[in-house]
Amino acid sequence: MPKIIFRLLFSFVVFVGVFILIQRSLKPDSFGEYGHYRGNSLNDNKMRTPYFKGEAKCAECHEDVYDMKSMDLHDGVRCESCHYPKIDANTDCEVGPPIVKGTIKFCAQCHGINAARLDKGVPQLVLKEHYENQNCIECHNPHAPWDLKE
Amino acid sequence: MEEHYRHLYEALSQVDGYIYPNEIDLHWGLMIVLYPYITGLVAGAFILASLERVFNVKVLKPTYGLALLTALAFLFVATLPLVSHLQHPLRAYEILMTPNPTSAMAIFGFVYLWYLMVVLLLEIWFDYRLDFVLWSKKSTGFKKYFYKIITLGIHDTDEKSAKIDDKLGYFITVLGIPSAFLLHGYVGFIFGSIKANPWWSSVLMPVIFLFSAMVSGIALVMIIYMVVSWIRKVKIDMPCLDTIAKYLFYILIIDFTLESLDQIHRIYEAEESFDIIKVLVSGKLNITLLVMQVILGTIIPLIIIGIFQIYKPSEKIRKAAYFFVGIIVLIGIFFMRWNVVIGGQLLSKSLSGFTSFNAVYSGMEGYLMAAVWLILPLFILTFLLWLMPPWKKVTTHE
Amino acid sequence: MGPKRIENKRRKFFQTSAALIGGTLLYSLIKPFEALAQPKEEEDPKIDKADLPLWGMGVDIEKCIGCGKCAEACKIENNVPIEPFYFRTWVEQYTVKKNGEVKIESPNGGIGGLKQSVPDEDIFKSFLVPKLCNHCTKAPCVQACPVGATYISPDGVVLVDETYCIGCSYCIQACPYGARFMNPVTKVADKCTFCYHRITKGLQPACVEACPTDARIFGDLRDKETDLVTFLQENPTEVLKPHLNTHCRVFYNGLSSEVR
Ligand code: HEC
Ligand code: HEC
Ligand code: HEC
Repeated sequence: MPKIIFRLLFSFVVFVGVFILIQRSLKPDSFGEYGHYRGNSLNDNKMRTPYFKGEAKCAECHEDVYDMKSMDLHDGVRCESCHYPKIDANTDCEVGPPIVKGTIKFCAQCHGINAARLDKGVPQLVLKEHYENQNCIECHNPHAPWDLKE
Repeated sequence: MEEHYRHLYEALSQVDGYIYPNEIDLHWGLMIVLYPYITGLVAGAFILASLERVFNVKVLKPTYGLALLTALAFLFVATLPLVSHLQHPLRAYEILMTPNPTSAMAIFGFVYLWYLMVVLLLEIWFDYRLDFVLWSKKSTGFKKYFYKIITLGIHDTDEKSAKIDDKLGYFITVLGIPSAFLLHGYVGFIFGSIKANPWWSSVLMPVIFLFSAMVSGIALVMIIYMVVSWIRKVKIDMPCLDTIAKYLFYILIIDFTLESLDQIHRIYEAEESFDIIKVLVSGKLNITLLVMQVILGTIIPLIIIGIFQIYKPSEKIRKAAYFFVGIIVLIGIFFMRWNVVIGGQLLSKSLSGFTSFNAVYSGMEGYLMAAVWLILPLFILTFLLWLMPPWKKVTTHE
Repeated sequence: MGPKRIENKRRKFFQTSAALIGGTLLYSLIKPFEALAQPKEEEDPKIDKADLPLWGMGVDIEKCIGCGKCAEACKIENNVPIEPFYFRTWVEQYTVKKNGEVKIESPNGGIGGLKQSVPDEDIFKSFLVPKLCNHCTKAPCVQACPVGATYISPDGVVLVDETYCIGCSYCIQACPYGARFMNPVTKVADKCTFCYHRITKGLQPACVEACPTDARIFGDLRDKETDLVTFLQENPTEVLKPHLNTHCRVFYNGLSSEVR
């Protein structure tokens, strides 16, 4: 074998060898544990803290509201659909739920008229015609909508 | 980030029809246009060099070394736009460390390395080895050290070693042709294999990329050859230039045929996605596709060189015409990449609307950066030409 | 035995050993490519997949009222930027007009409630379609990821490894459903994880939790007792873009052919 080929082959082998060594050392430990990915990444994804705590958690402090709600038609609408969760709301009953303003716009998210919503069990209103310009919660209790104030 | 959001709000106001909300952000910008463009120049320049060596087109000899060095200069830069567009450029090494075997992009890393290390560097090395030895004796300073190191300690200058160089160089060139095809075919595959995108997903994509790569590479070498001769104040070898132009002509025809075939196929099959593609081509891509790519980049060059095949005007006119053709072909191929990369992202995968592309000037994805990546290889080429001028070579292969 | 012989011998030895080493190294270099030829079923003795749940979701288009609560809840639960360009889930409103035209809209992903923009008298039919990552069994995004930063977890959820993603956006291009986006804060690809941190703790995903009409049903496809399996049994369900052969695990009831 001519010297030149040997030299080149040797350089090639050294190059590939070094490459493979680097590859071995830089590959994350848990890589390939379950498939072509970092196995520990599964845990990373599991580790995050949930924000939404569920109604049972809300009821620990606000049983009155919960009971009221479960008696009425908003039963199916969970607390956190309207009151978005705060991360620390599970610890202290003194801390109120995130404020929601019971404006027309707020109720309209679900009750504003939309052709695609008809006949789905959620009553639809042309809000202009339904006691125009008054906030919904002035009459309806958001937790028990048929508990009218007037 | 505020800047980014402002940009997106602007894009949001320009949305046509319906697009998925996540599609407002165009993820692949100018950098990904450059990446196939530059890789294409490499593959094309290399194939021009192989034409001379493997297919024995001896008139092309003056451009052989030039074409190889051009390919090398552009190959050094080829992956940089890709890396600079990454959101986490520092993690780019992962592509080589844990390549996903099913990913077109991951395997590209290896195709690139193979092409750079095994094909291009080796071919150039074999071509220059003997000269390096001779030059190392004559020159001083940096050049001397460079030549010394690059010979890898082999100092043979006899007839026999020259023969071996030649044989091995030939072997590598033969190996290089499929490699160059692979390199650029692969870039086409990166787009062609995306079944989610009807504008990209086409079996012809790799082949189209390949031929357009050859077109652009040949045009580039043609221009560089003219410019270098002009700077060196030597006479341009006219038969050589005519031959390059002739090959440009043939390959441009193939390229154009393939691309038309692809479109005709689309039009005739008129699949679900055709309605939206029709709107795309006649609307948002009107200028870049029809005017820049087809008329400027294909039809006009075809006409000009086509005429020269029958009627040859004076050298001066031909030179000017070739220079002009080279430039517009390069522009045309740039827009071909643009139409693929940007065009494919303009249409929504919901097939019912378009987003819009707003280029930026500054930043990693901007025009300035693009200009840097296009000019940098020219500097590298200048350096390479200074370091190892092909015209000062003592030896030439058979 | 002169020095020359030794020299030669040594060279021979080097040559053969170099060839051997080179051969093995070359082989190990080529090895990853083998998988290209014949994609192996990922099988791992450590985890018996049959014991794990296989998560899936049913979406009942007939129940969705387009209030956008799911999209909003998702953003809060998963720290997705509030700007209207980033959605792990969103709701689309389809309106088929009397003249046959289909109008699709999803302003701000449906957050804040969708409003009908077509006058009543022009409407032929109108319906709402919640969208999210379909958690494909043959996920194009996982196929495309160059580094293995997105993957299908053993329990069938397509996840992103945030510390490993290089941000090349190739997965975003590969996703036929537009379910992925580049998170501008973390600068990695982001997508629906079925709220992996919740479901592995026995909770429901945030969107399911927030839905006032139970239009989303989440559960284990292997457990034959779940609501999800009942939903699949009782309704004719369909997946999105079935022609792309992605084998989704999000099933729609009442899917109209206009939906893309
Ligand atoms: C339909 C939406 C909706 C749902 C569901 C809902 N709330 Fe409310 N809630 C409101 C609105 C609107 C207000 C504000 C009323 C007002 O301003 O008088 C409010 C106010 C409250 C308040 C009083 C806050 C204050 O500072 O006065 C409490 C406590 C409360 N909600 C608890 C709950 C609990 C617990 C649940 C679940 C059992 C629940 N809510 C479910 C809409 C809702
Ligand atoms: C998250 C969506 C949502 C919001 C926000 C919401 N509702 Fe409702 N509401 C519903 C649903 C769902 C029902 C139907 C429950 C059923 O019939 O089972 C309902 C039922 C009602 C009903 C009873 C209608 C009937 O058929 O008798 C009233 C009244 C009502 N809501 C008022 C309000 C008011 C007032 C507000 C604003 C404070 C409001 N809702 C906000 C979802 C919502
Ligand atoms: C002035 C007091 C008042 C205000 C303000 C008011 N409502 Fe009512 N709402 C009523 C009364 C009284 C009824 C029952 C009789 C009726 O249907 O008109 C009712 C009925 C309803 C119903 C049931 C309709 C049905 O067909 O079953 C819904 C839903 C409703 N309201 C939602 C709202 C929403 C949403 C708002 C805010 C935009 C609102 N209301 C504001 C007094 C009010």
